[in-house]
Amino acid sequence: MTSVSPDLAAASAHGDDSSLAGDQSSPRAATRFLRAFVTDVPAMLSALYILLMLLAAIFAPLIVKLSGWGPYEFDQTAIDPNLGALPRGDFGGMSGEHWFGVEPGNGRDIFARIVYGARVSLTVALSATVLTTVLGVVIGMLAGYFGGKVDAIISRAMEFLMAFPALIFMIAILSALPADNRVVLLIVVISIFGWPYLARIVRSQTLSLKEREFVEAARASGATHAQIIFREILPNLQSTIIVMAALAVPGYVGTEAGLSFLGVGVVPPTPSWGQMIASAAPYYAVDPMYFIIPGLFLFLLVMSFTTLGDRLRAIANAGEVRG
Amino acid sequence: MSRLFRNSMVAILAVGVTALAGCGAGGSTDQNAGAGEGDGPQKGGTVHMLQNTDFSYLDPARGWDGGVNAFYRLMYRGLTMQTSGDAEDPNAIVADLATGLGEPSEDGLTWTYTLKDDIFFDNGDPITSAEVKFGISRAWDPQIGIGSPYLKNVIDAPEGYEGPYVTGDLPTIETPDEKTIVFHLKQPYPEFDNVLSQANAVPFPEGSGAGDEFIKDVIASGPYTLDSYTPGSSIKLVRNEFWEPESDDVRKAYPDAWDFEIGIDPATIDERMIAGQGSDQNAIASKISSATLARIQTPELQERAITAPAYCTTYMGLNTTKEPFDDVLVRQAVNYAIDRASVQNASGGTQLADIATTIVPPAVTGHKQFDLYPSEGNAGDPEKAKELLAEAGHEDGVSFTLDIRTNPVAQAQAEAVQESLAKADIDVKLNVIDASIFYETIATPSQQHDAAITGWCPDWASSASTFIPPLFDGRNITDRGNQNLAQFDDDAVNTRIDEIMAMGATPESADAWGELDEQIMESAPIAPLALENGIFVPGENIAGYYPSTSMTDLTIVGLKDPSKG
Repeated sequence: MTSVSPDLAAASAHGDDSSLAGDQSSPRAATRFLRAFVTDVPAMLSALYILLMLLAAIFAPLIVKLSGWGPYEFDQTAIDPNLGALPRGDFGGMSGEHWFGVEPGNGRDIFARIVYGARVSLTVALSATVLTTVLGVVIGMLAGYFGGKVDAIISRAMEFLMAFPALIFMIAILSALPADNRVVLLIVVISIFGWPYLARIVRSQTLSLKEREFVEAARASGATHAQIIFREILPNLQSTIIVMAALAVPGYVGTEAGLSFLGVGVVPPTPSWGQMIASAAPYYAVDPMYFIIPGLFLFLLVMSFTTLGDRLRAIANAGEVRG
Repeated sequence: MSRLFRNSMVAILAVGVTALAGCGAGGSTDQNAGAGEGDGPQKGGTVHMLQNTDFSYLDPARGWDGGVNAFYRLMYRGLTMQTSGDAEDPNAIVADLATGLGEPSEDGLTWTYTLKDDIFFDNGDPITSAEVKFGISRAWDPQIGIGSPYLKNVIDAPEGYEGPYVTGDLPTIETPDEKTIVFHLKQPYPEFDNVLSQANAVPFPEGSGAGDEFIKDVIASGPYTLDSYTPGSSIKLVRNEFWEPESDDVRKAYPDAWDFEIGIDPATIDERMIAGQGSDQNAIASKISSATLARIQTPELQERAITAPAYCTTYMGLNTTKEPFDDVLVRQAVNYAIDRASVQNASGGTQLADIATTIVPPAVTGHKQFDLYPSEGNAGDPEKAKELLAEAGHEDGVSFTLDIRTNPVAQAQAEAVQESLAKADIDVKLNVIDASIFYETIATPSQQHDAAITGWCPDWASSASTFIPPLFDGRNITDRGNQNLAQFDDDAVNTRIDEIMAMGATPESADAWGELDEQIMESAPIAPLALENGIFVPGENIAGYYPSTSMTDLTIVGLKDPSKG
């Protein structure tokens, strides 16, 4: 899991002094942010790949119709029963029929399984990100703003969760619970252990923000707690939250793949990249493509999210320094 | 430990690919006849065996699975034994310490054996009937006797007898003189010779082996004795100087020593066997994985590779007490709809698996070839299945939950079943259970679901008496440790089982088991899926190797050139 560097925290808190002036700076900042983003090549390439994967996941059934093979369809003609049921042809059976080849043993189309696997990876990673972000922001702000006992309780809870050997505990929980809806379970379990990382940063920023003059001013003019939290503090946390969320996604993609690899992910035959890598491992010598393809897609997705988060942070920092 | 566990162990071994194995009498017609061209095994040298898991126990009263039974043959002798792995019928039972097979009395309740001369323990003491009796009576010890249950089930011990250390003498085994031993049975058991060939029917010096004495060291009666033992990593055997080759018709004991290398990753074992460097050319190992198959297609490796037929049937048990499988038409529909060719591919393709349409596999005596639910190319007949479902009132199809264990091959098989049944509007939900609790779960009727994919191996292959009765005798259904997964209870079948059991292991009973197999399959309480063969790649210098998926006869293995490696 990623943590935000102190300089970012300082920078974003810093920059927020300028927004004291009022509302009119926000749209200008957004435009500047966007312009910096579209001229940033790594950020754009990463965003493009993520978009491609998102579209693939959303339109998986349509894409699979185009490619001709569903993710669960066996193609016994594409494998050689006399040779350990390995794919016929070079590169793991790549052909016009099966674009990325087929799985050994059953002849399922790897392209279709990659496309459907993207659904699992992205659903889990993005949902977990949304959930951890909401939880992290709300709880972090509560702790930071109210302080005292509330802060003490929440901080202890966060320390407790962060001190936990999360991966081991996730495996234990997932293998103990019934496998009825693993996707939801994965999201919940990942979120339970994920939110404190964001909440900690939100808390510390809230702590410093609430002492600022504009908050004092709002309080003096009779604003309620809710108004101060949502109108004064939250807008100033925006860039932190965006960057933190973008940097959290690759971690969750990796966690989902890891849990599937360890056999506690989605239930077969639902495809998932981690599971594909796990089942491809014994074939590394005789059918390397089976291993390379899901590995490559997973690698690119994690790298794209990481790059995107990193570039977002850089752009945000630069913008704030200039502003 | 219960019998369920033991059999599960065998099932894990044979069906679950991992396996120590490398076990068992070969004797298939299609195998490359043991070792290469003419140069048979020579005396001397050290044979290595590479394996992943440790043997369960050194003490034969405790261990009971295919891998360890093969190991026990090197160290222990019983009154009878399964014959040599290169014999024409490797399933046959022959005399070992006894001069001949048992002589039953008129009523079949008393069996008499006479011991050979020149039989000794590894400490030089002669083996007499008293030691044989003592060794056998250890099976009743509540702590030690956790191996094969047959002695306890068949011999008529007094009520509450708990072995020689707790209770003392077992009066129902008589030793009138040093060479004669007489057994009294609960009821006639024509296959009693098989019972005495089980690993726990071996002699030990009187008074030895109490408690944990045999956990790390043992007293051998066979051609080898323990040199060193490091649990989980290595076992070394050296010659038992007191073993007389003339007294043993089966064991050849060519090498001077055995070196079992334990705890090696299966993929590493395959790599080492293919490379065959250094001492690995003197090594044997468990069967190769399907991923390795493509790599042994070179002429040089093909010459070394040996295929051994399956002794176990991989099947899907259909719970006949629950919807929808309480209806025979639905069970038949499932049997029609399954694409067995795709299950075969999921099991590793045609070289590693054959298609099963019967309960008893061809390697086991009592097999009859038939296919009551045929389809073209074994690819399943979803149309016929839909007709049967409609007839049963399920026009919209049915759905059921299938229990499977966390094992790549088992999951691939389950996915193949799921995919082929979907074509007949049968919706299969997979319930993946951790392998460590899988067998316990499905053997508990209150916890099992509608169906489960598992395997069954016979305790002895010379008759189907340990294949059909445990799986289909309705009187064997229990609340825990239930092996009759289908909970199939048919009076006609139960009666027939009793009749055939009374015949003993005769040619007539073999035919009768085959007929009964077909009779049971008409009710389709299970769907036979695959027969998982083993392909073994022994080292270049190995000779006399007849691997088997049940129990490899290690006692006839040797080196072509003992000076190599």
